[in-house]
Amino acid sequence: MDQQGQNGLLSTYREGWRNRSAAGIVVSALLILFYVVLYWEHKVQQHFGIAPLTAISEAAGLRNRWYLYGFLYSLAIIGGAVYYLRRHGNSRYNRFRITVNVAIQVALGFSLPFIMPLFGGQEVYFSYFWPLKYDYLYPQTLADLPLYFALYTVVGSLLAAPVLAVLYGKRWYCSWVCGCGGLANTFGDPWRHLTSKSTKSWRFEQASIHLVLFVAISTTFLIGLDWLIGEDHPAFHRIVAGDHWQYWSIKSFYVLAVGAVLAGVVGVGLYPLFGPRVWCRNFCPMAAILGWVQKVGRYRIKVKPGMCISCGNCSTYCEMGIDVRSYAQADQSFTRASCVGCGMCAHMCPRGVLKLENTWERAEDKERQRLSVVDF
Amino acid sequence: MRIVIVGNGVAGMEAALTVRRREPTWEVTLISEESDHFFSRTALMWVFSGQMSHRDIEPLERDAYERLGFRRVRARATGIDTVGRQVSLAGGAEPVPYDRLLIAAGSRPRPGPWPGSDARGVGHFVTLQDLDWYEREVHGGASRGGAPPRADAHVRATADDSPYRFREVAAERHGRLARQPSVIGGGLVGIEAVEVAVAAGLRPYFFIREEWFWPIALDPRESRWISDQMGQHGVEVHLEHEIEALETDSGGNVSGVRTNQGRYPSDCVVIAIGVMPNTGWLAGSAIELDERGGIAVDEELQTSAPGVFAAGDCASVRWFDGTRRPEQLWYTARDQGRVAGLRLLGDTPRYDRGTWYNSAKLMDIEYTTAGLVNWNLEREQNWYFEEQGRVRSTTRVVVQDGHVVGFNMLGRRWDHTVLIRWIEERRSLDWVLGHLNEAAFDTELVPPLRVTRA
Repeated sequence: MDQQGQNGLLSTYREGWRNRSAAGIVVSALLILFYVVLYWEHKVQQHFGIAPLTAISEAAGLRNRWYLYGFLYSLAIIGGAVYYLRRHGNSRYNRFRITVNVAIQVALGFSLPFIMPLFGGQEVYFSYFWPLKYDYLYPQTLADLPLYFALYTVVGSLLAAPVLAVLYGKRWYCSWVCGCGGLANTFGDPWRHLTSKSTKSWRFEQASIHLVLFVAISTTFLIGLDWLIGEDHPAFHRIVAGDHWQYWSIKSFYVLAVGAVLAGVVGVGLYPLFGPRVWCRNFCPMAAILGWVQKVGRYRIKVKPGMCISCGNCSTYCEMGIDVRSYAQADQSFTRASCVGCGMCAHMCPRGVLKLENTWERAEDKERQRLSVVDF
Repeated sequence: MRIVIVGNGVAGMEAALTVRRREPTWEVTLISEESDHFFSRTALMWVFSGQMSHRDIEPLERDAYERLGFRRVRARATGIDTVGRQVSLAGGAEPVPYDRLLIAAGSRPRPGPWPGSDARGVGHFVTLQDLDWYEREVHGGASRGGAPPRADAHVRATADDSPYRFREVAAERHGRLARQPSVIGGGLVGIEAVEVAVAAGLRPYFFIREEWFWPIALDPRESRWISDQMGQHGVEVHLEHEIEALETDSGGNVSGVRTNQGRYPSDCVVIAIGVMPNTGWLAGSAIELDERGGIAVDEELQTSAPGVFAAGDCASVRWFDGTRRPEQLWYTARDQGRVAGLRLLGDTPRYDRGTWYNSAKLMDIEYTTAGLVNWNLEREQNWYFEEQGRVRSTTRVVVQDGHVVGFNMLGRRWDHTVLIRWIEERRSLDWVLGHLNEAAFDTELVPPLRVTRA
């Protein structure tokens, strides 16, 4: 049976591990340690003489540690999905969304060994697009891929993803398809209330996400340029695309800073301390682009006027740190660039004030209006 | 211009914000005994369960008072000198002078009239201090969200009969948490007190005087669904029980509830038999109160004293049926606060309640109402439909003389503004049933309601 809204009261703040207790800090430390070893296993081997993840992978008969990571990742989102659906599965939207997202990620994860031979042994994911998958628009990548996949990634990144975001908001990707989003909404769900709702955190988000987007676009542009002129300009080539760990280049810096540190170590490692969308909210360049598109598209959160009791359930459980309540109590339907459309605000609302919808029918709520309780 | 507001709730804060928006330099002072920060009183139940923290139920960021230049006085107001234009405070604090004053002191829980109502282990569930008491009885204290800042800053400037005093906790005397709570009073606060006890793993008794739960809003069929739901969660719902006394042990702790139908051992009792205007402190002042204790105000929220206005739960305003009484609702307090803010600025807007609407959540079942429901109007007819498919819901449309005058909906979400429009357009039942889904506000992917006409 479908019963709308949150069923039963949650005990979120009565569970220490979900509230930065010692247990929460330990979980965070373990996650960070795991990602550090995953990305810098060669250094671990240099210093300690063992490569733990590779050793485990080989013992388990997996080809390399990335397969082990895929397996653990699938385990985490399936376990997290069970946790999530036990609490919020009474809502059809939640049920459909999580099921689709987990199915896509697990199917891709487990079919990877079968897909790879088709691509000359390369790992490819149909669920990722540039700029989230930063190398999918690098000329060399495109040249190396089969034509249809090259076409898929160009059309998908530059046309399909934004068009779908115009029609349905960025949620079609961030909350239904994406692997980062999938992990956040399942394994990361216990900590969703920890995302900061402060104005400060919103300012930080706006600065940081656009900075990363700028770096992502510049890097892609420079690497494209390098592909054209790199051979004649070896110094330029080395600065832009030098691939060795010992020679720092713009490309390797991006891989390290954005791909490993921000998306992995910080993005997942800080779940238990700052909520599950640290990466998606503050750093993901794809989220930045889709957020712009979302602002001009159909998606919005509709507010039923006059019925908000300002309880704060919506804001508390917003994983993107949007102060939904400030809009609800001002009777202001709205579209925020960062909103990933997880639907939890509408789900938690005890008065049915909020509703996610796709509609062209509005202009006034594109811009944030002056809200009675927050803006002065 | 010195603006003083007694009360830091939604009415007072909306008024303060309305003033500040136009007058950046006026002195605005908020006097509150209960809390440093404006919070949503409707959300106490979620703090209790741990679903939200104290910070989460505060709509403003904590630097808002500084940022907006609102001065805060944390003390109990004890009276108003309408000639000398100042508010006196408990605890020997300096009186606060005003040029224009708003009284937005809200409600206080109605005390139990029975012997033993003030025993240790008996309390209410309306104020922050009530929450503190009930959490200590059931959970042993606050969640990891902690207590509100400066929770006890008012204790030097309070009074023995204040609704914001801290209560002694029976569980602390017993050396164990409450095992068998009882809740008295079949209304919204009552069912919240029951629900939080259920969420804490207890099986509370729920004593209701009437024939069915919440008769002011629900009919027997609707109410039965709610009662069944409570039963499934382990609540013992006792209808038609008149309380006779709250029994105590030799140590002054509550030990049971005695009703006209029997004795029920109990170590924690929440009395939730309604609220009344928090205006006792105005006795002897020149502010005129009505027989319910509400502050008499005109359509512009002006009290009997010049320069003094009242808004929110403590004000007796004119209802659509012509009667004057307090409206104890979040939305009306907010709307009155906005009107009062304009009055403080010198404008003369009128407060107009418009068509009645409300919503609630009863255990897991959402409730929306609009218009005249359960008013027993002459010649009224009730069209009722129960949906028992993938979604369970009830729909009740009240019809009078061929046009729709009210809606009572359980289990689905509805846009009350559309329902109100139909009432104002005097639509027929046939027309409304044909267009019903235009007012649907269900979450996405929920199949629409299909009514079958009987």
